[in-house]
Amino acid sequence: MDHIPENELAIFAFDPDAMPEPRRSVINRHTAECASCRSTLDFFAVAEDDLSDVDVWEPMMGSATREALMTYAARIADEDREAEELLQPLFDAPAQAAWLNLNTKRRFLSGGVARCLSAHAHSICQNEPLDALTFADAAISVAEALPDDNYPANAIYEVRGTAWKERANAQRFLGQFPEAIESLSRAERAYKHLASPSLGLSAVAYVRACVFCDQQRLDEAAAMAERAEHGFAHLGDDDRRMTALFLRAVIKFEARDIGDAASLFRQVIAYAESMNNSLWIARGSDALGNCEVHRGNLGEASMHFHKALTLFREVGSASELIRTEWGIANVLLHGGKQSEAIRRLRDVAAEFETLGMITDAALVRLDLVDALLALGQTRQIVDVASRLFRVFTDAGMLTGALTALAYLREAASAGTLTPDGVQSVRSFLRQAERQPALLFVPPPSENR
Amino acid sequence: MRVSGAPAGFEEVYLRYASRLRKIAVRKFSIPVAEAETLVHDVFATYFMHAASVHAVEPYLIGAICNASRHYMRRSDAADALFCGETPCAATPSDALLDEVARKLLLSRMLAGVGSRCRELLRRYYWNGDTTKAIADTLDSTPGTILVYLHKCRRRALTAYRALSEIS
Repeated sequence: MDHIPENELAIFAFDPDAMPEPRRSVINRHTAECASCRSTLDFFAVAEDDLSDVDVWEPMMGSATREALMTYAARIADEDREAEELLQPLFDAPAQAAWLNLNTKRRFLSGGVARCLSAHAHSICQNEPLDALTFADAAISVAEALPDDNYPANAIYEVRGTAWKERANAQRFLGQFPEAIESLSRAERAYKHLASPSLGLSAVAYVRACVFCDQQRLDEAAAMAERAEHGFAHLGDDDRRMTALFLRAVIKFEARDIGDAASLFRQVIAYAESMNNSLWIARGSDALGNCEVHRGNLGEASMHFHKALTLFREVGSASELIRTEWGIANVLLHGGKQSEAIRRLRDVAAEFETLGMITDAALVRLDLVDALLALGQTRQIVDVASRLFRVFTDAGMLTGALTALAYLREAASAGTLTPDGVQSVRSFLRQAERQPALLFVPPPSENR
Repeated sequence: MRVSGAPAGFEEVYLRYASRLRKIAVRKFSIPVAEAETLVHDVFATYFMHAASVHAVEPYLIGAICNASRHYMRRSDAADALFCGETPCAATPSDALLDEVARKLLLSRMLAGVGSRCRELLRRYYWNGDTTKAIADTLDSTPGTILVYLHKCRRRALTAYRALSEIS
């Protein structure tokens, strides 16, 4: 078979009508049967079209968009590098940062400084929220002082939105909930200036859900957590999506909707297993264990806790490990093995205190009080309450928690303490950790 | 041809995904080509600003161009655009689109192997849309000779394309 010359195929591919008859029909018939000529024709046909496309030429020849973006990327990298050097002394001495009006000093006026301050605030907001607030405020002052057109595509609003979000995070950990909500509104407004605000808005929804949950506004928290989960899923960010899903489950648990909470925790575990992510398997298992304790399924609870314990030993933090041991002690407590439970709860509380986690230690000791109450050992409850009072005072936690602990001690001494009374102290301590200004009011039955 | 100072990672991400994002904006959302270019630019401008906090680049960029396109069309405001209703994003490229992007990347690599004179000739003829006469005038040649050159360059391109296709 005689093949069609490539020059003819090229002309035919570009414009079949340019090929006179009967040659056009010959080429048509031949390429229908000859795979080799057909693939050459296909190449020319596609190439004619494709070679006019910027995508084909851009990797080699560049483009205005590429040039502009790479210049911009280089600028961001330079700004970040300079900001890190400039800010390190302030990160080492946070108090100094509070006194410096960074936005009035020219060398600090850059997007890199704002980004670096926000990132640092984020990294310390859980353990040092007051310092995080200082740095987030500084980030805001710098970001807001920069001109709106500092970057192309309104990207300055990404910097501003993130600075406000970090302020909200710090305020949340300081228990300044209304202020945190206001900061989140500012973050949201900033992000909405962007062409693609999804990540920022999803993060805002997540933090808002956390704040609402801390405020016990559980319906609003659930709606926000779902919004965040949806947003992260849309961006294919499975890790953040799991964090939002876990939060949704926690909110259900807080609302004592244990069935739904357990179902969501199972989803977390299923995802984590599919990703071979031991940490999330452990977190999900620990949380599921707590659900089963509430449902009275102690055998299952024990199984989940032991699974979590094994994994946390490999990948978890010390506090997560202790928290799971706390769950196991609770299984024993609810299973009627009070003496063993009491021994373990004392160990767990001591471990939390060693880590400086005073509120968690107190919550464990309240479980201990439950056990002692069941055994009628009120004298020991007075000792536990006195010890808690001393620990809180020594730690400088001179909040409404002291009033709650004083109530616990006095009610135990008077023999009027009930499981509901212990529960009211427990609920208060959990809230007071984030809201130091909260006042303790004894439960109605004890208050008469 | 990297712009000096731009982190290599950014450029790599741009070259890998820019073409896909353009296609999504133009094909899935019917955004005019020039406007799609602006949207792609804006999506990358936001991405570069918080690249460190993006965990999964490809779905992030696809979700971002989806939202940016919707925002452009003003079918919904930015807050609603956060949730375009589908997971994964409706703009997730189809196999056909991905095949086309892959083919064009291959063509791009092919052009790197046809020699600078052929590349310049093909660029002027196809991308710039210069006529054979215009090209001939600048090269002190004739349109007929340019057609011959074009034919030779296409053959070179075909050879390079076949070689690359076999490798990939």
